[in-house]
Amino acid sequence: MSWVQVNLLARGLSRGWGSICRTVLSGTPFAQPSLQARGLHCSAVTHKDDVWLVPRPSEPQKKPIKVPAMHEDLFRPSGNGEQDKASFLNAVRSFGEHNVRKRGHVDFIYLALRKMPEFGVERDLSVYNLLLDVFPKEVFRPRNAIQRIFVHYPRQQECGVAVLEQMERHGVMPNTETEFLLIQVFGHKSYPMLKFLRMKLWFTRFKNINPYPVPRDLPQDPLDLAKLGLRHMEPDLSAKVTVYQMSLPSESTGIEDPTQPHIVGIQSPDQQAALARHNPSRPVFVEGPFPLWLRNKCVYYHILRADLPPPEEETVEEIPEEWNLYYPMQLDLEYSRSAWDNYEFDMDEVTEGPVFAMCMTGAHDQATLVKWIQGLQETNPTLAQIPVVFRLARSTGELLATTRLEGQSPPHSPPKGPEEDDEAIQAQQRQGQS
Amino acid sequence: MASIHKLLIGTYIHRNFLRPRAAVPPFVGNHFVDYSSSSLQKQVASANKVSQQGKTEEGLQGHDHKEVALDVPSPDRTPEVSFDKAIRDEAMEHFRRLKDEIVAHVRGPDGRPLHEVIMEQARVVWQFREKEDLDKWILTSDKTIGGRSEIFLKMSKNNRSALLYGTLSSEAPQDGESNQSGYCAMISRIPRGAFERKLSYDWSQFNTLYLRVRGDGRPWMVNIKQDTEFIQRKNQMYSYFMFTRGGPYWQEVKIPFSKFFFSNQGRIRDVQGPLILDKISSIGFTLSDKVDGPFFLEIDFIGVFTDPAHTEEFAYENSPDLNPRLFK
Repeated sequence: MSWVQVNLLARGLSRGWGSICRTVLSGTPFAQPSLQARGLHCSAVTHKDDVWLVPRPSEPQKKPIKVPAMHEDLFRPSGNGEQDKASFLNAVRSFGEHNVRKRGHVDFIYLALRKMPEFGVERDLSVYNLLLDVFPKEVFRPRNAIQRIFVHYPRQQECGVAVLEQMERHGVMPNTETEFLLIQVFGHKSYPMLKFLRMKLWFTRFKNINPYPVPRDLPQDPLDLAKLGLRHMEPDLSAKVTVYQMSLPSESTGIEDPTQPHIVGIQSPDQQAALARHNPSRPVFVEGPFPLWLRNKCVYYHILRADLPPPEEETVEEIPEEWNLYYPMQLDLEYSRSAWDNYEFDMDEVTEGPVFAMCMTGAHDQATLVKWIQGLQETNPTLAQIPVVFRLARSTGELLATTRLEGQSPPHSPPKGPEEDDEAIQAQQRQGQS
Repeated sequence: MASIHKLLIGTYIHRNFLRPRAAVPPFVGNHFVDYSSSSLQKQVASANKVSQQGKTEEGLQGHDHKEVALDVPSPDRTPEVSFDKAIRDEAMEHFRRLKDEIVAHVRGPDGRPLHEVIMEQARVVWQFREKEDLDKWILTSDKTIGGRSEIFLKMSKNNRSALLYGTLSSEAPQDGESNQSGYCAMISRIPRGAFERKLSYDWSQFNTLYLRVRGDGRPWMVNIKQDTEFIQRKNQMYSYFMFTRGGPYWQEVKIPFSKFFFSNQGRIRDVQGPLILDKISSIGFTLSDKVDGPFFLEIDFIGVFTDPAHTEEFAYENSPDLNPRLFK
């Protein structure tokens, strides 16, 4: 008898609210079945809000409590404990097998979005398409104008937008399959479809606007990273990258050799010529370390520079003698610019001393930089006669913390030198470049 | 009775002078696409931001507070005379500025001869050569809304350029409604004339923005705000990216005005139009690339010039899918 009552109530729920009322009103007069009917009625009232959002049959109250834990279990590492794309796809597929009716798919998709960086699939377009595929098809599409005017299934549309937002944040360009999935799930005029159109429009516009592109995946080898950084900073394409010293790992079994860091330098032919013309009586300075950000990794470099020469020492380069009458070495034309043709800024630009070379090293102490200077002397013989002054900034705690967070080797504190005691210079250098 | 009236007037002017207006809210985040259900939350956050930025500006004006406190004599000595003197000095200062503006207007646009203005091809708008040049800028970060980023501005070691430095942190503030954060911004103040009237820059004859900067490899946003009297438009701006190279060399960035896209509260709008250059009120730089760590940016000067090779009017045409009404 009670089974018949439950069955009748279930069918009433599936039809609608009016049917539920009529069935309850026409209940049997027995006391015990009446109590059961009222209990089921409360249960139906509890689930009333869900009917408007998710078209799913009634369920006992205990089930929703277990849904988050069950979803979390899907993403637990498997037997081998590896977290990669295969295990992620396996988890998503397990959700589909576990829930043929896709119950709780919004929570599952939000959880999967949070778990993506852990599994390393946050830049994989097929994974995003698979997540969009988790949505049930043809259910959230508006069927008339009234449903289209008011946001049809707003929680599901917000979830769809959240998936696209994460794609946008990681620079993943959606493709035709994404468009097809969105049309199947939400329809043409939905908010996820609008966001898809905006992404498709503006991603193509901003894809190639960086004049100094950095590769998506930075090289893990410190040597290759140093080469990339130096090439990124140097505007002269004819500059040459030189590896002065490779990094050797310390062998515990072998002789107790100290670990020597890598030294990579870059210098252009113009800088070599400028260094050759430099007055040997004026010193050159090794300054640094200065930070350079490559996407989300901070590397440090040093520069070899000199002060500005005094105005009287700026000798004008003499033009050689005429060696051919058909190709004059000097032209004295009377062309000049007038007021309408003056594109120069009425401004004294900041000019600083010339930079002769740059380098990146595995360690930032003076001994390593001395090796760099010795390596530079092979291609710059005049550097042997020029005094070299080291102006190295002392590393601060913040710099150390940042360096450790970024996975770089922490810079060692430099030994004391003649210029080391200049606190003001160091304080300013620590904050910015000279 | 008359002295009470003067006291009230003096107090009002004093309060007005001590409390400057709230700063302009900066560009927040690099979000490119709009979603209307979140606009309500963003407006609430924007309101909070505006009020807290007002407080921050009071903090920024702490130095002025001290100066004013030092200048104001003790209340024991004849307060009526001091209030009268302050009122008179302020009024005379504003009238002097008005006289200067009238004389400049008679001489020509911006106080220069007409032929010089017509044949001008390059103009330096902001430069950093003295400490007074730094007072033309407002610094703001998400510390005002509970974040952990910080930004500072000072002169470089050689005292000929500005050094913008600080730390960016993308940790969201614990206010229950923010899930993304992390920005540092520097905005120029709106130019003011006599009697605190709002002025604007006229860049109609130029087509390119020029910046001589030296950075550390981070990308920045360059935002241009137009002068507008409507409250609903206070978050509208035109933005573009400035990619710094890093390294010890100075970098010349040239951004044509046709490349700036229209955005509102950090979201790119669907209807795009070119930037109208006759009433520019301020320019701003925003760093929010979701990379935590220290940053620095050295700025030599900011100018506008005419690039005769650039003939593009606007770089972004509207899309018929997003704006069907524009194509009917």
